[in-house]
Amino acid sequence: MTTLSGHGENARPGAAFTWRSGLAEVAILAALIVIFSILNPGSFPTATNLATILNNAAIPIVIGVGASAVVLTGRIDLSVEGVMGAAGMTFVLLSANSRGTADLGWLAYPAALAVGAALGALTGAIHATAKVPSFIVSLGMWYVGLGIAAVLFGYEMIPFLEDEAAVAWPTTAHLAVPNSFLLALVVVALGCAIERYTRLGRRAYAIGNNEAVARMTGIPVAATVIVLFAFAGTCSALAGVMGSLALGAGAANVGVGMLFLTLAAIVIGGTPLGGGRGGALRTVMGVLILSTLYNGLILAGVDPSIQSGVSGLVLVAAVVAAGWSQRAKLRVYK
Amino acid sequence: MIQTGISESTVSRVGHPPILRLDGIAKTFGSVAAVKSLSLCIGRHEVVGLIGENGAGKSTLLKMLTGVHVPDRGTMELNGRAVTFRGPLDATAQGVGIVHQEQSLFTNLSVAENIVMGAGTAGSRATRGGIYRWAGVRREAADVLARIGSDIDPDRLVGDLSFTERQMVEIARTIHLACQSAEAQGGAPLVILDEPTSVLEKAETEVLEHEIARLREIGSVIFVSHRLEEVLRICDRIVVMRHGDVVADRPTAEVTEADLYRLMIGKERHARARGDVPPVPDKVPVLQVKGLSRAGQFADVSLSVHPGRITAIVGTFGAGREALVRALFGVEAVDAGQIELAGVPVRNWTPRKAIRAGLAYLPAERGVESAVGGLSAARNLTVVPLGRGKGWWLSPARRSAMAADWFERLDIRPRLPGQDLERFSGGNQQKVMLAKWLALSPRVLILDHPLRGLDPGAGATVNACIRDACAQGAGVILLADTLEEALDLGHEVIVMRDGAVSARFDMAQDNPTTLDLLEKMV
Repeated sequence: MTTLSGHGENARPGAAFTWRSGLAEVAILAALIVIFSILNPGSFPTATNLATILNNAAIPIVIGVGASAVVLTGRIDLSVEGVMGAAGMTFVLLSANSRGTADLGWLAYPAALAVGAALGALTGAIHATAKVPSFIVSLGMWYVGLGIAAVLFGYEMIPFLEDEAAVAWPTTAHLAVPNSFLLALVVVALGCAIERYTRLGRRAYAIGNNEAVARMTGIPVAATVIVLFAFAGTCSALAGVMGSLALGAGAANVGVGMLFLTLAAIVIGGTPLGGGRGGALRTVMGVLILSTLYNGLILAGVDPSIQSGVSGLVLVAAVVAAGWSQRAKLRVYK
Repeated sequence: MIQTGISESTVSRVGHPPILRLDGIAKTFGSVAAVKSLSLCIGRHEVVGLIGENGAGKSTLLKMLTGVHVPDRGTMELNGRAVTFRGPLDATAQGVGIVHQEQSLFTNLSVAENIVMGAGTAGSRATRGGIYRWAGVRREAADVLARIGSDIDPDRLVGDLSFTERQMVEIARTIHLACQSAEAQGGAPLVILDEPTSVLEKAETEVLEHEIARLREIGSVIFVSHRLEEVLRICDRIVVMRHGDVVADRPTAEVTEADLYRLMIGKERHARARGDVPPVPDKVPVLQVKGLSRAGQFADVSLSVHPGRITAIVGTFGAGREALVRALFGVEAVDAGQIELAGVPVRNWTPRKAIRAGLAYLPAERGVESAVGGLSAARNLTVVPLGRGKGWWLSPARRSAMAADWFERLDIRPRLPGQDLERFSGGNQQKVMLAKWLALSPRVLILDHPLRGLDPGAGATVNACIRDACAQGAGVILLADTLEEALDLGHEVIVMRDGAVSARFDMAQDNPTTLDLLEKMV
């Protein structure tokens, strides 16, 4: 990952083995793989299990690409689960389904993404024009999205998807790599390209580094932020579609648990919530670490009910580790 | 296609109008005239030094030149065209660039990106259409860097550069845009360097001097500095400001350093006549500082504060006195040295401990660090914990009584302690802030520019309060706004220059003039 980020924050030669350089995450992932392979030699290092881990990682990776673009500017998007629900329901009801609502064919995909983009842009626009914290606006938008999904779901029977080929597509694997993960990689490539080769992405880094200077430099901060929120919404919408395909049905709570997983992955990957550093590739590492950890714990026979506690501890430990060298300089932390 | 030929003929027909012509521009803030009807003309390829004491109006002038403030009156011409700036970006886009003392670069991006991003949407070819062509970005930045004679690698991360190198990048970024726009109109850019040398070492200053020589070939430079020998060495012409006016505008060859001191000070004077200053008491000082240092701010500062005495510290902006007093109050950490309170060294110093030990600090940024918006004056007055032995509970009745008492003693008007602090005038707000600390009967009172933004009447009352607190046994550290104030109030005057103490005057024996102080400051 260091070679790919040649123009980004890791451009310094001879990057040290620190949390900032990205090598620490690679080492942690490698260590997890080694540990779990020793603990479960029969079940962990197998092609089937690899496919399971990658399939589980696909949805949080897709969300994480958009969410980390927002975090780069020092903002946060908490609306992930709501947008997933609204976009997922839109997709299911516009595809061939057991309720027979409508069948727009392939148009259901762009329609669902448009719902996500619109919700994201709305979040960004309210945040930027009313100058209220993105934290609270996107928190509200989370429930707006869930509300839309609930209305679409209504009180009728569960809408099952009827296109069996589409439902089977994400989990179909080539050489232990499922299609869902390949799709996630395409989104990651897109995210990286935006971060490194577009004015939009470079401005995101600049805003995250010093917003006051960004304004003085003539960067249109509000417009940049709105576009990034729209991008994040689109990513969440795609994740909603992927989640619906995985369920084979429409559900308002298709994204449940994804917000914590994605935010934790962003932080564990090494993108600070203050912005200015990190990016999509780091978030991929964060997601892979967490998915491997979950998977390994299950295979090791750890009670699933303590998993959430473990992942919480991992998140806190990662934040402390990332900020350890800076702690003496921090006078204000909130 | 033959555009260059056309533009050249336009230029030669018009001749070379001055880059900048100011005619009677003025700016008033409230009742204070910061700049009074000032006229100035800067020709092409000139390096003009701008000097003046703190508060002479230099920064207001610069802010008008860079579009931060709009002049109340007067006209401004750039390259022969009348201009009005809609904002800082507009000023740069019309050919006036400024390099500030505090740097404004993105530390997480490369040199090349910083230079190109500063050029805005229209300015850069390499990012047209919103797509970064990195080879082009690098080439564009390398061209600009070559133009100012810098060999910084455009790929380096700004966060890894030294201070001087960053300054070069700032200059490159500024002229990248200012040049483009000025030259498009057949003119030349004006680059303002605001105190660029104040934190530089000797060798670094030489790099900058070389740089200014290059800039002179491209356009003109306004060089603002408090280091007079540098101004004399670098500039072709020197403009001296005092009290919002230009008091001298002379070719460098015709002035000496002594002349400049005199021009900046105006009429030099001694401390105003007052009662005898008692000699330094032979007791343990209430606050003693030994060899205090903080990298980049101040170094090896020692001083003693005795009860009932005022220690005035003077210095230019950037001399480190603000950082020093903040360190004394525990707001900023120190790298070396010791703070002793009544002979006992302190450890892990924080503002909370400092307040408990009887220190009080009145910050310069009243609105940011001192006044609590949205609270009444009475609540602001009692916002600091009362200290040991006075209980932790302040009844509303006791608060009102306290507030009423202090409103009377400091003549705070209007006598409405329940009114929101923000609705009082600046002078009365400052009195409330002072009362907040005086109510604790501090042993050491640290005052950081207590008269900032106050009219003379309010200033006199605040000064009387300071003398009063001192008479009641507080040791006072005063960062005075003017040299006259320091001389009139101080029992001891300490002069700081570039982070170190450059002179001490015991007012019981010495009788320095304002000029003596200034000579040690710059």
